[in-house]
Amino acid sequence: MARAQTDHMDVRAFADEDLIPMMARGDARAFETLYERHSGAAYSLAYRMVGKQALAEDVIQEAFLNLWRSGAHYDRGRGSVRTWILGIVHHRAIDALRRNSVHAKRRSDDDTAAERLESPERVEEDVARRDEASIVRGAMDVLPADQLKVIELAYFGGFTHTEIADMLESPIGTVKGRMRLGLKKMREALAHGAVEA
Amino acid sequence: MNVGPDHERWADAAGVYVLGALPTDECAAYEDHLAACPTCRAETEELRVAAQALPLSAPAMRPPPALKSRIMAEVEREAELLASASGAPRRAPEPKRRRFNFSLRGVIPAVGLACAALVAGAFGGAALFGSSSPQTIPFESTISNTSAELEMTDDGATIVANNLPLPPEGKVYMVWIQKPGQAPEPTSALFTPRRDGSATASVTGDMDAVETVLVNTEPIGGSTTPTSQPVLTASVS
Ligand SMILES: [Zn+2]
Repeated sequence: MARAQTDHMDVRAFADEDLIPMMARGDARAFETLYERHSGAAYSLAYRMVGKQALAEDVIQEAFLNLWRSGAHYDRGRGSVRTWILGIVHHRAIDALRRNSVHAKRRSDDDTAAERLESPERVEEDVARRDEASIVRGAMDVLPADQLKVIELAYFGGFTHTEIADMLESPIGTVKGRMRLGLKKMREALAHGAVEA
Repeated sequence: MNVGPDHERWADAAGVYVLGALPTDECAAYEDHLAACPTCRAETEELRVAAQALPLSAPAMRPPPALKSRIMAEVEREAELLASASGAPRRAPEPKRRRFNFSLRGVIPAVGLACAALVAGAFGGAALFGSSSPQTIPFESTISNTSAELEMTDDGATIVANNLPLPPEGKVYMVWIQKPGQAPEPTSALFTPRRDGSATASVTGDMDAVETVLVNTEPIGGSTTPTSQPVLTASVS
């Protein structure tokens, strides 16, 4: 009954920011539209972090059900809906990494043969997504290897700065400094739209 | 620019913070510092733009269609229940054109998203995004080894359980709220534990008048009145 309200309306015409309050009132179609728009980026992030298909699916399921149940907490002053969703996924994935301590066994270069065997389907990126991705990858390519490494271990690996310092046998201050410098450099490269051809 | 007290201690922490790499306890302390230190706040906001771009570099993968089916099945069940519990449908707002406004320069920093919740499940929307500090109440459990807590905030509650067994075939766990002298009211919170027995469920809404929060098992899709005895009970007031 209540659901009928949007069944005959094209919810896809709504902006993300307008779908959130609809979803918070229990509109499953509004949620579904958000899922369709953002699950690709969300799943790609989760898989990049946890490196296992089943675990990435768990992360996405938890993150999106969390989103569905807590949509009322979105604050548009804090950033785009996509940024918010990816933030939830990121936290969920860190949580999963720690919970499953896949973590301890993972290496900093996570492209092992076993992971490739159970890889989910790689997809062709659409034009918009490809442009974004290449801008970001271009900005990451600007970084010296030691800065990129600590940033990747922290963000994608879910390691704390002290764990990273142990792992690399570097002083904590050095690790912190590399993170800060690397992000600063990346920020500048993004601002200039740095894209490696 | 002004710096807050204890600024020396947090020199260089901004990068660690926006990457989510501060341990949970330090993260809360750093957020206190941020509230008092404009210099660190400005730096955090600058670096966050870069950190928030990182996920876009991940190789594009297609989520399996079965995953969407699983998630939508749960969402549909909860939506049905919410609709039957809350009565009249509410009108949707007027449609607006979807905005295509991606701009790396225009990403507004999302404050307060960098503290990773490292305890399994301490992750409900309320716990993460609410502004006030949650109040934690233990559940009494009828299942041995199962422990659970209720985290209360201004606008809802999150149930965090551990060692919760799978519900019987065709059943899910369901959360009920009870006000003094009244029958339990259904909530939209239906859940099953993860493989490791941990579970979280969120109840949104004003919990002021609620005396007891109950969890029992119900047929998939939930019920409007309880059909089994509670397995978890928390006395709120
Ligand atoms: Zn400071």
